[in-house]
Amino acid sequence: MNAFGYLRRYWQLYALLVFPLLYFIIFKYGPMYGIVIAFKDFNFFQGINGSKWIGLDAFREVFAMGDFYKTLRNTIMLNFLDLLVSFPAPLIVAIMLYELKSAWFKKLSQTILYIPHFISWVIIGGIVYQVFGTQSGMINNIITSLGFEAVPFLTNKADWLVTYLIVGVWQSAGWGTIIYLAALTGINRELFEAADVDGAGRVRKIWSITLPSLKPTIVTLLIISLGNMIAIGFERPYVIGNTAVREYSDVLSTFVYRVGIESGQYTLATVVGLFQAVVGLLFVLGANYASKKLADQSIL
Amino acid sequence: MVQKRRHASFKKRTGQLVALSIAGSVLLAACSSNNADNGGSASATASAGSSAKTKAATLKVEVFDRGNSPTGSSITKNYLTTFVQDNFGTPNNINVQYVPVPRSEEVNKLNVLMASGTDVPDVVFTYDTPTFNRYAQQGGLTDLGELLDQYGPNLKNFLGEDTLAYGQYDGKLYALPARRSHLGKYASFIRQDWLDKLSLPMPQTTDELYATLKAFKDKDPGQTGGKVIPLGMSIAPAQYEPLIWSFIKPTSEEQRYTLTQQLGSNDFPTLLPGFKDALQFMNKLYNEKLISPDFGLDKDKTKLSQNVSSGLVGFFSEDDMNPFYADGLYATLQKNMPDAKLAAVDVYTNEEGKHPKPEYTPIGMYLMIPKSSKNAVEAIKYLDWMASGDNLFKMQNGVEGENYTLKDGTPVMNTNAAEEIKNRLYNQGDMAIISNGKQLGDADKNIEAYVVGMPQPYQEETRKALTISRSDTFKPVRFDKPIEAEAKYGTTLQDKFKEIIVKTAMVKPEQFDGTYESMMKDYLSSGGQAILDERTAAYKAMK
Amino acid sequence: MKARRDGRIFDAVNLIALLLFVLVCLAPFLHIISISLSSSRSIMSGEVSLFPIEIKWDSYKQVISDASMIRSLGFTILLTVLFTALCILMTIAAAYPLSKRNMKGRKLFMFVIMITMFFSGGIIPEYILVRNLHLLDSIWALVLPGLISPFYLIILITFFQNVPDSLEESAEIDGSSHFRTLVSIIIPLSMPVLATLSLFYAVGRWNGFTDTLMYITSPEMYPLQLKLYQLVQNNMISELLQMEGASGHAALQPESLKAASVIFATVPILIVYPWLQRYFVSGVMLGAVKG
Repeated sequence: MNAFGYLRRYWQLYALLVFPLLYFIIFKYGPMYGIVIAFKDFNFFQGINGSKWIGLDAFREVFAMGDFYKTLRNTIMLNFLDLLVSFPAPLIVAIMLYELKSAWFKKLSQTILYIPHFISWVIIGGIVYQVFGTQSGMINNIITSLGFEAVPFLTNKADWLVTYLIVGVWQSAGWGTIIYLAALTGINRELFEAADVDGAGRVRKIWSITLPSLKPTIVTLLIISLGNMIAIGFERPYVIGNTAVREYSDVLSTFVYRVGIESGQYTLATVVGLFQAVVGLLFVLGANYASKKLADQSIL
Repeated sequence: MVQKRRHASFKKRTGQLVALSIAGSVLLAACSSNNADNGGSASATASAGSSAKTKAATLKVEVFDRGNSPTGSSITKNYLTTFVQDNFGTPNNINVQYVPVPRSEEVNKLNVLMASGTDVPDVVFTYDTPTFNRYAQQGGLTDLGELLDQYGPNLKNFLGEDTLAYGQYDGKLYALPARRSHLGKYASFIRQDWLDKLSLPMPQTTDELYATLKAFKDKDPGQTGGKVIPLGMSIAPAQYEPLIWSFIKPTSEEQRYTLTQQLGSNDFPTLLPGFKDALQFMNKLYNEKLISPDFGLDKDKTKLSQNVSSGLVGFFSEDDMNPFYADGLYATLQKNMPDAKLAAVDVYTNEEGKHPKPEYTPIGMYLMIPKSSKNAVEAIKYLDWMASGDNLFKMQNGVEGENYTLKDGTPVMNTNAAEEIKNRLYNQGDMAIISNGKQLGDADKNIEAYVVGMPQPYQEETRKALTISRSDTFKPVRFDKPIEAEAKYGTTLQDKFKEIIVKTAMVKPEQFDGTYESMMKDYLSSGGQAILDERTAAYKAMK
Repeated sequence: MKARRDGRIFDAVNLIALLLFVLVCLAPFLHIISISLSSSRSIMSGEVSLFPIEIKWDSYKQVISDASMIRSLGFTILLTVLFTALCILMTIAAAYPLSKRNMKGRKLFMFVIMITMFFSGGIIPEYILVRNLHLLDSIWALVLPGLISPFYLIILITFFQNVPDSLEESAEIDGSSHFRTLVSIIIPLSMPVLATLSLFYAVGRWNGFTDTLMYITSPEMYPLQLKLYQLVQNNMISELLQMEGASGHAALQPESLKAASVIFATVPILIVYPWLQRYFVSGVMLGAVKG
């Protein structure tokens, strides 16, 4: 097919892309010149263009900071644990919901499970303290009334990791189910009927019908979370974290906030952001490549 | 610069193009009406700059938005904004506009406004010393020296030399610091009824306090069922600072200058002799379970307040008048247990038998005029107006007979006034920016204004607390030139400082030394040493 | 026989596990409701957990009688609806062509879009852009910069790619244009995921406030979450707030009022999902294939 024929057949596809691309160019690539702040001694009043070039000085400064490596390590650690625990959680809950017989309970529980997503982290922080506190937290009240020693859920590093994960699952699992539930609507019911004829059990059906139909969604979400391995939200570690466990709760985002934003050193913040972006892009490309090889699916 | 502008206008055009075509006419209508608005105000400002004689000049003033505007008014239009326009704006042919900045994001938003170069208000302010230093150092502020002499005689007189000294950077006046009316910070409070019950005397020294705390723990006079917290603690400065500073040894002037670390706007004693003793004491208290067990989690004093008001706490330190507000700590405590009595007390003692505690720098916010402002003269005139006559008094107190009545020269607020009358002053602290607190002539009168603002039964104790917070205080040390390392490492080290307190308190006594050593090493290598070096050099240069 | 008994055990375990999880998710919400209804004495003494103590309705009366809250609710609804509608349109427009594996230049476009997931110019150039487009202090400043989330776009592409090719091919044979295939086949078949993404966009907009902190200065255009943020953040003690001394105290708001405002700002968006659930009926695609 020649170029003209191709265009005549497919021009509508390109026409559809015009506005989205314009959007990306204007609103995403437009401000991207701000990245040069990483290579400048940023002065608020001389602006991005007027500030002095400093080459890689700011990178050297960041890479010489002990806190940078500590927070990088913690970021990867927390994200990795999340990948093991918080990533599968919504998938499991979605399947559990899908398997529910009672339609009204299904609807009701879906609606309630996603409530935690709507509670702001500031408020969650206060609640976490009331539930997990050592002195008079609800859980420890029960533990001590049974005659056991109180567990320092928030002040002991290892226990804190557990708390961090539990809160994460609690906050995001219900919300995360929605996308899987949407995918599950696409399953052909006849497959189940056929399986019933074969005498397959429930677990068997989940394994060989439900899960495979979710595979594209799972793979897509997995690739994206791998790309976000060294990006981490500010609020969850900040709100659940505390002074006693800073060795684990201090992550790149809190580091950037403290060193870059609060101290008005935008150059340092931009350096860390750029570092995260490059690594993130490499990770996502790697994950995409691996998934193409292993699962014959890719997002690029 | 030219290139930049062309870049911008290109974007503007393409942006409108996109907007235009995305959603058709609805969008177009909204967008163009919006453009008209912006264009309108922009041209008004421009012409005001060129021909100020004929048209009213527009003066933009920052105001903190705390989201607490009462019904019927907004942060940009309320009793006080009208008061300013009527009494200052209109007579001087100036249109005063207020630009709200979210309170908790003030520094961030100010940074972005400054960096964008336009739409910056003519008067901006911050409490944050490093932010002021940064703006001054980067050359973004108007030199106010001559302007103040020429247009602000009342203002200059009101603020005074001592206050103005804080607005200097490299010998030039880049900010007008607001004057603070009450410099005291902290007092301590003890359950008088517990002491009475155990027939204990009021503790006068740290040692006696320790014995008292022990007695509270062992005898549980409040019958809390073992939940008693003899010493209420949190990780906010009001709780730990009075304790820690009392352990700091008397120091020479040189030590004060070189070993103190100013992080953010406060002085920190991390390197001063005696700091370790303070930590050791806290470690002892913690291990003997005399102190709030979860204090390291209590960033905002919520837990402490709960414990105090439910009658679990025997003794605690706090911002001097905080417990006494209507519906505050003390009131809630008495609702829960009517017999509870809270007494203000000054107890932490140093080697010399004094009760040393920090006081505020004598300033409030730094008021600044950005260099990009074309209305610096109007801005000074505005602040000068506020400082003249009884304008400040009226902004802080409202209308006599409606909002307050005068009693021995002290305005007593009328708490029974109708809501809309009381609401007039809801943000006076953020509008009357040249002063922090009421100014009635001298420090004693100033605190009296606070005292009469408290519920009647607590006024006596409030007066006592306010006297305590002002006694044996020491002033923050000050170099005439800011320490750059402090600006750079300040926020990091503040966190590390708290980490030191929490970690060293919570370890077993035998691990204390090891923990202390390693945390201090981390502190020094994360910027503490750099600050120390710079301060040592600066001290030498100053002498 | 055995399979059926296993099935019943499975159902029971499943039901109980979900029930527990539901309770855990509901508890904090109940806690906030309890706070909003309790007396300040009981809140300050830390007595309120899952049930209100000394019930009073003052906080709700205060929230509802506050004209600025009602106006803010209206503005937030308008903003959310406008934003969601435009986002979905734009995301569909981008996802459909990019779901065609044989489209030339697809990889390049995908790469261009994926870059924006990781790289951004930062807050200052973004602010300058919005200012230069004359969008500051207008609703469009909160709409246009976030029109397409690359993440949601990729999800939608994945779903579009899962629509059986046979359906599209048969449409093409019938002479249907790409536009028509999209509108008459792809979109109807993708209602569950479109409902999901609408929800994601809507909730993101409803809960988001960081951009409003920067772009909006007129109190008439404060979304609910910004008002809420100001209420809730106000008594976070920091060194800076301490500098205010006594003058900051006046701004403190009662906890019950904050909690009531949280409920007021959360309930409207919470009821969106139950409403969207009708698009989640399974077997949509099956019916279409048969028809």
